Amino acid sequence: MSLLPILGVLSSAIFSGTSLLYTTLGEVIHERSGIVNLGLEGVLLVGASSGFAVTVITGSPILGVLVAMLAGVLMNMVLGYLVIQRKANQLASGLALMFFGFGLSAIIGKPYVGSRIEGLPRLPLPGLDGLPRLYSSLFSFDILIYLVIPVSILVCWLLFRTRWGLGLRAVGENADAAFASGRNPRLFRYQALFLGGLLAGLGAAHLAIAYTMNWTEYMTAGRGFIAVALVIFSRWHPLRAIVGALLFSGAVAFQLLLQSSGAQVSPFLLDTLPYILTLLVLIAWGGNRKQSAPASLGRVYHGSE
Amino acid sequence: MAINTRSFPRLAAFTPLLNGVVRYLLMILLALLLFALILLFSGQDPIQSYGDIFAATLGSSYGFSEVLVAMIPILITALAVALPSRVGLINVGGEGQLYIGAAFATWGALTFQQLPAWALLPLMVLLGMLGGALWAFVPAYLKAIGLVNETITTLLLNSVAPKLVGFLIFGFWHSAMDTVKTDNFVDAAKLPTFFGTRVHLGLVFALILLLAFWAFMKYTRWGLEMRAIGGNAQAARRNGIPVKRYLIAAMCLGGAIAGLAGMAQISGFYGVLLLNFSIGLGFMGFLICWLAGGDPLGILLMSFTVAVITTGGNMLQLTRDLPYAAINILLALTLFVVLAKPSFFERKKP
Amino acid sequence: MNKNLLYRLLVFVVGAALLLSACGPAATVAPTEVPAPAGPTDAPAEEPVEAAPVEEGPCLIVGALYGGPITDAGYNQAMHEAVVAIKENIACVEIIEAENVPDEAGATTTMENMISQGATLIFATAFNHQYPALELAGQHPEVIFEHAGGWEMSGNFANFFGTPPDGWYMMGVAAGMMTETNKLGFVAAFPLGWTSTFINAFTLGAQSVNPDVETIVAYTFSWGDRAKEADTTNSLINQGVDVITMHVDSPSTVLSTAETRGAYSIGYQNLAAQQFAPEYWISGTGFTLGGTLTWLTSTVLDGTWEPIFLRCGISDGCMAIAPFGPNVPQDVKDAVAAAQAAIDSGELVVFAGPIVDQAGAVRVAEGEVLTDDMMSAVDWFVMGVTGSSQ
Repeated sequence: MSLLPILGVLSSAIFSGTSLLYTTLGEVIHERSGIVNLGLEGVLLVGASSGFAVTVITGSPILGVLVAMLAGVLMNMVLGYLVIQRKANQLASGLALMFFGFGLSAIIGKPYVGSRIEGLPRLPLPGLDGLPRLYSSLFSFDILIYLVIPVSILVCWLLFRTRWGLGLRAVGENADAAFASGRNPRLFRYQALFLGGLLAGLGAAHLAIAYTMNWTEYMTAGRGFIAVALVIFSRWHPLRAIVGALLFSGAVAFQLLLQSSGAQVSPFLLDTLPYILTLLVLIAWGGNRKQSAPASLGRVYHGSE
Repeated sequence: MAINTRSFPRLAAFTPLLNGVVRYLLMILLALLLFALILLFSGQDPIQSYGDIFAATLGSSYGFSEVLVAMIPILITALAVALPSRVGLINVGGEGQLYIGAAFATWGALTFQQLPAWALLPLMVLLGMLGGALWAFVPAYLKAIGLVNETITTLLLNSVAPKLVGFLIFGFWHSAMDTVKTDNFVDAAKLPTFFGTRVHLGLVFALILLLAFWAFMKYTRWGLEMRAIGGNAQAARRNGIPVKRYLIAAMCLGGAIAGLAGMAQISGFYGVLLLNFSIGLGFMGFLICWLAGGDPLGILLMSFTVAVITTGGNMLQLTRDLPYAAINILLALTLFVVLAKPSFFERKKP
Repeated sequence: MNKNLLYRLLVFVVGAALLLSACGPAATVAPTEVPAPAGPTDAPAEEPVEAAPVEEGPCLIVGALYGGPITDAGYNQAMHEAVVAIKENIACVEIIEAENVPDEAGATTTMENMISQGATLIFATAFNHQYPALELAGQHPEVIFEHAGGWEMSGNFANFFGTPPDGWYMMGVAAGMMTETNKLGFVAAFPLGWTSTFINAFTLGAQSVNPDVETIVAYTFSWGDRAKEADTTNSLINQGVDVITMHVDSPSTVLSTAETRGAYSIGYQNLAAQQFAPEYWISGTGFTLGGTLTWLTSTVLDGTWEPIFLRCGISDGCMAIAPFGPNVPQDVKDAVAAAQAAIDSGELVVFAGPIVDQAGAVRVAEGEVLTDDMMSAVDWFVMGVTGSSQ
């Protein structure tokens, strides 16, 4: 009886951490290439609303996931056009993208508010089939959850073990030097935004189609900003992002457990902990060059026409 | 405003003021055209929709007053970004500073209810500014000692501030009937409004601040030194300008201004502190400041434009079958167009 | 360089075209922009005159605003359906609606805009609409305001609502009989007075049939954070809860999450919620205020409208109990029906004393009854509830 709540916190952390982790992985990739996307909130919303809408229309959650990924890519390409092509300021472009996402997702999702969908099918972890449903349903995951750790490892491999990853990181550190050594910073950044959009779309899809099976305006409730914080917390590393996402969402689950056992701890104060922790991590590692942000993060690459 | 006349030869003869206005108008028109396309796609008549927006904003005195009301907080938060940007600091933390300023001001409003308005309101203004300044001090200090970039810290603290305010409301301040907000403020704690509209004294604060900012940057030694730091901090340091002190002071002043926006919003607009009362006012200020290149006149024009758009969205929901949030698209398109044309403006790079 | 020139040309052409076309709407808008109606006369006296020429225009323009989306399968949809029923019953009225107006400031703007569009009867349906509506009622004596679920009254401002605590008690009876673990879960948005009252009524109902029952409460601190609702539902189930109910904007996520975990669920606010829990649904209560709003509108039309504090329950048709789910045995249905009969006959009063709170202190003394006013400001839970009410 006392085991269930603890396993429950872990299960909740996995369920609600998955969309965070996908989104964070995407942001890690394009921040490594030097682009910070503050518009993630908007990207997630558009991904979630269009994915949900397609799931309602076609009845196929898989199709919904694919469309959410496509929507994520398209949104990121808008950002790419602004910050790469037009050399606009990244922070401002990201925030503008966020407002764009607020509006666009509301229009896309409006006819489907309150619709009911069959979410992504859930398969219990092998070997747990025999348990009572109460337990087996804790670890009965959908395909996106099973894939999230392999995807993190894949992203890690891409960034740190491939020539492409080396080039990407070089662009993020110093775009001009990367250009001088024969790399095309613009192309790398578009590619990074493309991958980031796919991953953010997966995160949005998991939130709307697999976990909550629902669409409402502003349903991401700040998860885009949490992902930006998580990138910093994990110091731009995909594997540390796994730990970060589990910690962030586990904190929410733990807070709910405390609350309903009647403990007098303010949920608001508990909710600030992840951010304070991130800040402390930053301060602790701030002086260390190797552990800090990509050097040209947020800078406009002017290049030569 | 520094206009790049070389890239725009035809208009070189105009005065820079007119020049700037014409460019703004052109870009806004382009955004209107793009939004009209989206309206067409979603089956709405764009001309009638724009007619509705016009009627609800500039077309009636009530509408116009509502535009001014919407302009107050974003104009102030834009200035909260503009001042630190002069020394090269990027203050994305207006949202958080606004919340903390509002919380400090609320503490004053609830604690000193018996004071007359002439004493209570200035006290709330000071408290609000103090709160915002304190919230900005952390990133300012961390930046000044070269530890952490202020962009990241202000962004993180944005997520913390509304939760702290939630903690204060639920833990201590909430009213009996409704736990998501405080008791309504006493009249002495509410900024006076004008002409039976919702336009409140915050508008005067905003305009005075705007003028003060312009004069400060243009005519004072501090303003000149700040520009020197923003231009080249290394050189400024060699010339004996106390760079660290300026960085901290500019950031804290920016925070104080954002705190004032929070105070004006709860005291003048809501008359009560409520949970999550600002959804992006601080971010909007950042955008406006950036789009205007930190220029005072540009900030005024941009915040007015943004206020017209957000106010018009409400009417669009009533007369057209569009969600209120849809107006964010027009807003974003306006921002996109301005962002996409950096050659229209010449702005300093951080 | 060349590209830039082209772009600028394009901007000019586009701009010029838009300037030209923009003159159109501006000119046509000016005459239609007629704000306040003729003058502050007695609304009831004027309305019948307007009602006569049906073909020319609507006999009455009704504005309705909601705190959330009108298709949420929850409260807002229930209110929206009630407003739509007015139009179905009285064909000549015109309805203007605005959804997603959660806060006071937005409500003021929205209602001002509705009045400028000619609305003379406004249904303000969210909790936060009460004070803005009351204030506007003072400024616009010719407009009648009806607010849902508040307590203020004035000459042209009144309140209407159902009596949810009765329904909650009946649902408690069902939950108390269905539970095997003797633990019921309540997912709430915020610790509000009314929410606490619902939780108390639910728990009292459950205790009336099952004295060992315990209700565990957890808050999401948001009306619309769906992921948090799913987290909260799971968290409750993991503490051994096997019946889940909720007071959030839209019940859909809580219901479908409970369904995937195999926990029973009880809906609130809208009868349509059942579709989200086809197998483990017990029952639910919902608002069915269409008839009431139609009646209110007809009194405005014939000039007999008066500000009355209107409360009507299941027996009046203002609220209804949803059909029972497939797994609910007959004795549970009978017990709910018995509770309903007792409430209708006045034999059973949900909040009749003695009622003690979590700490054992007496909150309602023997022979006393909790009034509506007190229910909206309840900040305590009855004994048997786990969780904090503040």
